[in-house]
Formats: sequence, C-alpha cells, structure tokens
Amino acid sequence: MYPDNLRYTREHEWIRDDGGTCTVGITAYASEQLGDVTYVELPRPGAEAHAGDALAVVESVKAASDVYAPVRGRVLEVNKALEERPELVNESPYDEGWFFRLDDVSAAEMNGLMNADVYQAFLKGLEA
Amino acid sequence: MRQTPLYDECRALGAKFVDFHGWTLPVQFTGILQEHEHTRAKVSLFDCSHMGEFMVRGEDALRAVDRLLFCDTRGLPVGKCRYGAILNESGGIIDDALAMRLSDEELYIVTNAGPLELVSRVLQEACPTRTDSSDKSDRSDTSDVSDLSDATAKIDVQGPLAREVLMKLGFAAIARLKYYHVCRTKWSGAEITISRAGYTGELGYELFIPNDIAPSLWRALLAVDGVRPAGLGARDTLRLEVGYPLSGQDFDESRTPLEANLGRFVGWDKSFVGKEPLVAQRAAGGYPLLTPIRTPDRRAPRHGFEVRSGDEVVGAVTSGTFGPSVGHGIGLAYLRADAAALGTQLLAGPKALPVETVAAPFYTKGTCRI
Repeated sequence: MYPDNLRYTREHEWIRDDGGTCTVGITAYASEQLGDVTYVELPRPGAEAHAGDALAVVESVKAASDVYAPVRGRVLEVNKALEERPELVNESPYDEGWFFRLDDVSAAEMNGLMNADVYQAFLKGLEA
Repeated sequence: MRQTPLYDECRALGAKFVDFHGWTLPVQFTGILQEHEHTRAKVSLFDCSHMGEFMVRGEDALRAVDRLLFCDTRGLPVGKCRYGAILNESGGIIDDALAMRLSDEELYIVTNAGPLELVSRVLQEACPTRTDSSDKSDRSDTSDVSDLSDATAKIDVQGPLAREVLMKLGFAAIARLKYYHVCRTKWSGAEITISRAGYTGELGYELFIPNDIAPSLWRALLAVDGVRPAGLGARDTLRLEVGYPLSGQDFDESRTPLEANLGRFVGWDKSFVGKEPLVAQRAAGGYPLLTPIRTPDRRAPRHGFEVRSGDEVVGAVTSGTFGPSVGHGIGLAYLRADAAALGTQLLAGPKALPVETVAAPFYTKGTCRI
C-alpha cells in the first residue's frame, strides 16, 4: 500500500526521487478517502512552487481537494492521461496515476518528509 | 446512531457507512460510479429503511391529512401515487411526501428521515380522535394516523431490469403496475406494499415490508442474476441527474414550493396549510428559483458555492456533483429570478467555475416510464 521508495506528506501526497527529477502523486489512502476520482486539474509546465503551494486539484463524486507541492520545485511535466482517465488515480495511485514531475528539488526538503513507516504510523494516528 | 434491519446484510457485503440524519446507512459498496452505472444499465437494491411511513385511515383523518399536503389526495384514485409536501403556516417546506391511495379508506404516506419527528407530530396532531360510538377501542390510541416508520423496512429496486427481477421472485401483482401506481401483495406470508416509483429516473419499485422479513427478501433479490446493492452515494448522483431535489438539502422550512420549483405539483384549487402566503408569492413573482446548472466539463459545482453574475452574488448551490451518465458537472442552485432564465452564463464557487442554467432533467434516457 505504501512503497518504501517514496516519501510522504501529511496532506497525503507521495514524492519519488527519479534521480534528478521527482514524481508526485496522491497516496492510496487519499484516493480511497476521495472515492471515485472524476476530474483532475493539472499545473502548467514551468510553474514554480514552494512546499505547500496548491499545484493541482482532484475532484471525486463526493468532494474536491487541492494537491500540494511536497517540496519546492519547478513543474517539468504533467500526466496528461489523467485528463481523459481520472480513474487512474484510484486504479494505480503510485504508477499510472501520477500527477506531475518536478525538477530543481531540494534534497534537504525531501529528507524532511515522512518515510513509509512514519507515514503508516501517521495514518494510524488519524484513525484513532 | 440507528441501524436499519438491513445493516448486517449491508455490512456483510462490504458496505462503507455514513451517518445520515441519525442513521448509519450504506454510502457505497463497490464504488459510487460503478453502482450508478449498474443502476442505469441493469438493476440495483437500495436500503431506504430510514424513511418515514404513515397509514391514514378513516374519513376524518383523510380529510385532516389532505389539508396538510399541498397536493390533492381526496381526488387521488385508488391505486395511484401523487407527489406533495407538508408546509408550515408561512408556506415553508417541512418535508416532501409521496401519497399513495391504497383503498377508499386508506392513504399511505412516505416521507424522509430528517424531519421525521416533526412530520409525525404534525400528522398525528392534525388528526382528530374518532368519536363515533361504534368505535370500541381505547380512546388513547384511536388516532387514525399511524406512524409505521419504526416497523417498516423499505427496499428500492431500481433499474431497467427491475420488473423482470420482481417477476422472477413471484410478484405477479406488479406485472402491469404503471408509473406512479401502487399495489399490495404478499411475500412469505407477510403483506407488503409496492409502489412503482423511486428516485433514480429508471424503471423501479419501492417495497415497503415488515422489518422482520426485510433480510430474507433482500437476500432473495440479490440472488437474482444481475442484481447488486447500491448506496446513498449512487442514489444521490442518480437523483441529481434527473433533477430531483433532496429534502433537507435542496429545500427546508426556509423555502417555499414555488422557490423549490415544485409549483407544478401544488393543488391550487384546494385548501391546505401554508396556501395563503404561497398564493401571494405567486402573484408577486420575482422570487428566487431552484435552478438546474451545468458546467462545460468534468468539474462539479458543490453544495454551498456562491453563484455570481460578474461581481454580483445572485445565488448559491445546494446540490452538485459530477454526473456519471452525462459526463459533466451538474447541480441545483437557488438563483435570483433575473439570473434563473434558461441559458444564463454564471460563475460558481471560489474558483469562478463557469456554469450555465439549463432545463432538467440532465439525463434524458431514463427508463422510469417504460
């Protein structure tokens, strides 16, 4: 459910270091909470963001939520497939359901995010 | 939280539950989109046991209850249903209701969970205690309106295959039951009431049954090929696609039937509680109107979004979602009269989502009248 090679935020984004660039999406927990995703609004490539800036929007039948930049960076590429197939966010949250790629990311900020174990403990705390 | 007689059945099927007006109800089983599409294509079961049911018996009670409903129930032929609502003295909507004429002496009324306590009190207080000497029963319980809500479960069977499914279970009485008609029949020795109505826009039936047989009937229905359970989530997207308002969300006591776009159901020739302010409002015109709106794409308007024309606030969204069968965002919004005209371009919510006023229903291929 929560791959070891990812870092996680309290807002339920994941980020993966692909060596030079990073890929961002939302976690299985987030997609489960949202339910069926019906629309994704993606950022403009080239957009610059600080950690915590809203970069995308994800809408489900039930609700709409912002997706935040987990770390500072510049949007290199977005997952155009989500415009036609937003359900990929539910079906494949860590693979085909990615949102955007960032470059110029700070390694220090990445290390400040939760690893899989800490994130799962954080989720347990939410249920309590 | 209260549980329906079908709670254990739903839990065993993997339902996710939600609190709804004090009830723990299934919001989804496999997923809202799948359940929505299955209902449009085949047939789904909905546990609606939280709803209110009342039996009105006898001439005095029938007359008293007719005065509480804005639709004419006196002229309602045996075997037919009619949509109406119960208003307060100022014309505000306490709840909407479906009235069903079961016989010359009996009217069955179905209402919602939210205002049930108030509705029950209003109905029972309006009903005079029978005073004729032939009535030998105890004075204290001779009320001719019985609140059957606690003893009654309700299963909605909705979708184009609904008739086939009920026929397979031996409900021959529904073979020729027409839209908005009602009949009584038996199942497992128990008397059940079946109306051909629902809240999805599809061919469908509402089964009113004693609590104790609800689980076995639910299981028998599910055993028929093609039948699946569906939750409140799909019920909401299905009803909104056909433009049906939801009591407590799209109207309450602060709204009149004219504002809620229910004027066509009002029996203007009869007398009913709340009629005078309604007649005055109709004559004055210019009231805000619950209006269907759509977005140009998959983005959805949401409950509580302000609606603006330029910089001016002209209304607010009460229901909104993505419409799975229409492929775009849909909603209902109270709009100032001048902004409610068909084809008006407006902006909704904090991100100025473009919306256009349109005619209901959004989804026009429903099978409810076939």
